[in-house]
Amino acid sequence: MDTNTTSNEYVRGTLKTIVLNLLAEEKRMYGYEITQEVKERTGGAIALTFGALYPVLHKLEQEGLLVTESVEVDGRLRKYYSLTTPGNEAARVKTDDLERFVDAIRLLLAPKSLATE
Amino acid sequence: MKRLQENRIELLSNYLKKSGLSPELLPEILDHLACEAEERLWDGDSFECAFSGIVETADPDTLHILSVEHNHLLAMEKTLNDIVFEGRNKSYGAYQLRKGYNSTMQRSVLLGVTFFLLIMLLPNLYARLVPEREKDDIGFEVKLTTVDIKPETTPPPLPVEPPKAEPQPSTVKSTSYDVLPDHMVVEEATPPTVDDLEHALPGQETVEGTSDLMDIVPPSAEAPAGKGKAVEAEAPKEETFIIVEQAPAYLGGNAAMAEFLRKNLKYPAQASRANIQGKVFVSFIVGSDGRIEDVKTLKGIGFGCDEEAERVIKLMPNWKAGRQSGTPVRVRFNLPIVFQLD
Repeated sequence: MDTNTTSNEYVRGTLKTIVLNLLAEEKRMYGYEITQEVKERTGGAIALTFGALYPVLHKLEQEGLLVTESVEVDGRLRKYYSLTTPGNEAARVKTDDLERFVDAIRLLLAPKSLATE
Repeated sequence: MKRLQENRIELLSNYLKKSGLSPELLPEILDHLACEAEERLWDGDSFECAFSGIVETADPDTLHILSVEHNHLLAMEKTLNDIVFEGRNKSYGAYQLRKGYNSTMQRSVLLGVTFFLLIMLLPNLYARLVPEREKDDIGFEVKLTTVDIKPETTPPPLPVEPPKAEPQPSTVKSTSYDVLPDHMVVEEATPPTVDDLEHALPGQETVEGTSDLMDIVPPSAEAPAGKGKAVEAEAPKEETFIIVEQAPAYLGGNAAMAEFLRKNLKYPAQASRANIQGKVFVSFIVGSDGRIEDVKTLKGIGFGCDEEAERVIKLMPNWKAGRQSGTPVRVRFNLPIVFQLD
């Protein structure tokens, strides 16, 4: 539980990038699909709650990075999200940013572990 | 994958509504939770178990936060107008006007400025479009010449022709005689004889005349040549006769005139009321062309009868003019008009 919350803390900052990156790969996804995909890929290490996911999706939509289309599936309205052209660009930039950040963090953490070894 | 039955979805939906989820988010969250529930059912859980699990993850607080965040997101888009018109009749028109105010203003300012500049620059544009005149068109080369001013010369007076010698009749000295004492009487001064005067006129001196004319010629100065015409134009006033050899008459005779009078003469209402009868003597002139003029009443009876009589006389057609020695002349004519009540 403890690990889960800490992971959530980091997730909150990178959620936008995660969503954009996923959509760049999958073209068209709906909310639940995104959570499942994330869970699958990370082996359950990162679990997105819908309480965190949907505000981010809505915000991205408002910023014009995502477009939605509603399709009726099994008698329910399912909202599919896909990237717009600026959304694609934003996904690329954010992913690059995150990668550099992760590298930096790794550098920040590595020497210590190396030194201790 | 197992499907959720309609009533179960309904159950979820009701739960979400009860939790106060904003209706805009409802379909999406419902789908998400339904998917999750189906997943759990797939894993072998009973619906009740799945449902309680879902409620655990989607507790009212989380849903509330979700709604609030969504509202915040929407609020960011909202302008002052949206806030002012929240829950009001937006279709009335004011909302649209307010919404479009900025663009309208922008357009009007742009148009106004463009129009103003166009007006201001019109003279400049015109000057650019219409080619300037060539230099030659503006300047004129003027040659200065000395003007020879000559003193005004009065034309020489026309040579006055010497008056032609008027044919002079022969005259014989015939002056008045003064009564004088005998010693002062000049012998020569004897009056001309009848024989002398047969071929000469009496004059101051005895002069041999240039012609045999015996007429008395008026002095030339007394008859200026240029004015003779004007005197001629002044037509001599036609004499108006009272009695002529051939009296003027109404065309068609007295019977026709009586008929005319009977037709045109109206008994004045005033006179008929006052029971006035009698004769109105009307005098008028029948011109040489037969026209009737100068109509006047000589002796009337009043009460509008005089005026009526005059009116009818003036109404008459031209008469046959009176004649004196064969030529038509103006004749004054008196006509009694009888007014008689039946």
